[in-house]
Amino acid sequence: MATPVRIRRQLPFSPWLFAAPGLLVTGAFVLYPFVSTLVNSFTDRRTLLPGHFVDLANFRELLHDDMFWTGLRNSTLYILGVVPALVILPLLLALLVQKNIPGITFFRSAFYTPVVASIVVVGLIWVWLLDERGLVNSLLETVGIGRVGFLSDQWLLLLSAMAVTVWKGLGYYMIIYLAALANVPRELHEAAAVDGAGPVRRFLSVTVPAVRSTMVLVAALSSVAAFKVFSEVYLMAGPSGGPAGEDTTLVMLVQRTGTGLTGRVGYASALSVVVFVVTVALMLLVLRADRRDES
Amino acid sequence: MPISRRALAAAAVALVLPLSACGSGGDGGGSADASGKVEGDITFQTWNLRANFKSYFDGLIADFEKKYPGTHVKWIDQPAEGYPDKLSADAGGGTLPDVVNVSPDLVAPLARAGLALDLDKAAGKYKPEYLDGAWASHQVPGMSGTYAFPWYLNTGPLFYNKALFRKAGIDPDQPPKTYDELFADALQMARKSGGKVATLANVPTIEDFGRYGVTLMNKQGTAFAFNDTKGVALLTKYKELYDAKALDPQALTATPESSGKKFLTGAVAMNPGSALDLDNFKKNAPTLYRNIGITDQITSTGHVNMYVMGVMVNSRTKHTPAAVAFAHFVTDAQNQMSFAKKVAIFPSTAGSLNDPYFTKEDGTDETRVRIAAAKSLKGAVNYTPVLFSDQMKTALRNEVAKALQGKESPKQALDNAVNAANRLLQQG
Repeated sequence: MATPVRIRRQLPFSPWLFAAPGLLVTGAFVLYPFVSTLVNSFTDRRTLLPGHFVDLANFRELLHDDMFWTGLRNSTLYILGVVPALVILPLLLALLVQKNIPGITFFRSAFYTPVVASIVVVGLIWVWLLDERGLVNSLLETVGIGRVGFLSDQWLLLLSAMAVTVWKGLGYYMIIYLAALANVPRELHEAAAVDGAGPVRRFLSVTVPAVRSTMVLVAALSSVAAFKVFSEVYLMAGPSGGPAGEDTTLVMLVQRTGTGLTGRVGYASALSVVVFVVTVALMLLVLRADRRDES
Repeated sequence: MPISRRALAAAAVALVLPLSACGSGGDGGGSADASGKVEGDITFQTWNLRANFKSYFDGLIADFEKKYPGTHVKWIDQPAEGYPDKLSADAGGGTLPDVVNVSPDLVAPLARAGLALDLDKAAGKYKPEYLDGAWASHQVPGMSGTYAFPWYLNTGPLFYNKALFRKAGIDPDQPPKTYDELFADALQMARKSGGKVATLANVPTIEDFGRYGVTLMNKQGTAFAFNDTKGVALLTKYKELYDAKALDPQALTATPESSGKKFLTGAVAMNPGSALDLDNFKKNAPTLYRNIGITDQITSTGHVNMYVMGVMVNSRTKHTPAAVAFAHFVTDAQNQMSFAKKVAIFPSTAGSLNDPYFTKEDGTDETRVRIAAAKSLKGAVNYTPVLFSDQMKTALRNEVAKALQGKESPKQALDNAVNAANRLLQQG
């Protein structure tokens, strides 16, 4: 006969003991930096000098800071340029590689490769390709179009960075769509086909509604990532943020303002708070739009 | 037992508040008196030197520890990229090493935060060992004192591509010597190459304004003043070059690395550099190396620009005598000279530049560049003001770019840059 197991009475704080490691990590690396940033945003703290409470002065200053508006404009444009592409293109790609035909695994892996590649390496390769004397410009010159200032024109630079973001993100969102597509019942497609629906009609009337919630998820994830873009623009436009800083994004501005020995930590914190508020607002907006559509 | 929200909030505050004490700096630190016994463990931080000079520093440290028994030096090296950020993190966290490799613009904020030892007080007796200008390079306007030992100096010639000069109909043996000649040659190069070869790859920086003879700051060192007539004239000329593609179209976003690469590929005809670059040309661009021309930096003031490295002593070190002794040891005439023989740098110690190593020709290009640089260093100036921070550099660069693109007049752009720099200066 097995020995009976004696169960002790659960102590009231036992759940907290289990949660403590996670809470500690979250407290130290999420909660504390967040609270610290919030507090700093109301001070004139510098990297090496303690700050004084300055009320809303930092927030007032950023309203009159041209570079803040440039950053906000570019981050917003980034969302407008990148999000539609990252919602639609990976879905089409997923439909393409969903079929089980010989060699398809190679294509799936190939499309996913940019996701795992280092952004620095990817950025540098694109800089070489798009350089005034790079491969792309040499080809354009050969076909008679002439050289294009991908890396010297303010708008082309931003577009080039967007293209890199889209190219790098395609594989990631494709995998998410592949998982969603696997759950779409085959019978729905067959029934639609029997009813005479062509491939486009089946895509719009069967596939899209079936993966709608995944599209919302992709839109939310990619819009937050796009608003917080840093690496692509930093690598392609340089630390100064493109010609005259016109390609600076909000996160680049935070980095440039708040780092280094003379960094304005207080002002950079105020900028970070704005980025946080806009990011949360974006998430809420996307989720709300989704809920409204559902109802 | 249910836990109330208030209790939860209290727990969160209890968790967060102690953490908020972090990063508020050190413990108030050590003593400024360097006269005691030289002993104890100290840390020495260099700036991207381990990869190429490990054996030199290992030997240097061993010599010091032998000279001062009871001392131990721990050497750490940081990569070039992000060095100011590393220093600020260490300074904020109270973990700044005892002896730190710095440049004048890095030492200024550290001195203002009280983290750099005043060497006029702690080590003033060593001052006569160094060139006057080099010793003064780590003084901060608005503060009395000197905050780092001068270490190595560097300057470099202007390299040019003789083949491109020849193709543009410019005599490759008569490179430009004045700004007027430079601008004329650059315009001719752009015209003859159909805009495909630029002569310059970078927009003017604060040191270019200084070399052109622009007054960078007022006499009291309390405000910037590079928006004078000369400053506007230089920027107007650069605008003309930019429009003619004599200044590379990608100059607005160029970095020293990217412009160096453009020079290697023949997209740009001139580029500043140092004796170190010759090796690079030899290995990576043999055709360019065969056509390389070397000329002096162009300056309207008669003084070329020099870069100064320094060695700072952390004011909060617990072993001030050892830290000061080691910083002096690293920068003394003998050790600077032996470092200079390993790499193309120049000692900041008085009389060292008269050593035959810096005066005697041996027929090689490397020696020719070294001798010319050493000669020009005797009257060289570090044009970058100590108080000109990274944020100010960005502000100037952006305004210069606006002027070159025609979005602002050169005068307006420089006025804006000066106002932005002065605003940052006042904010401390």
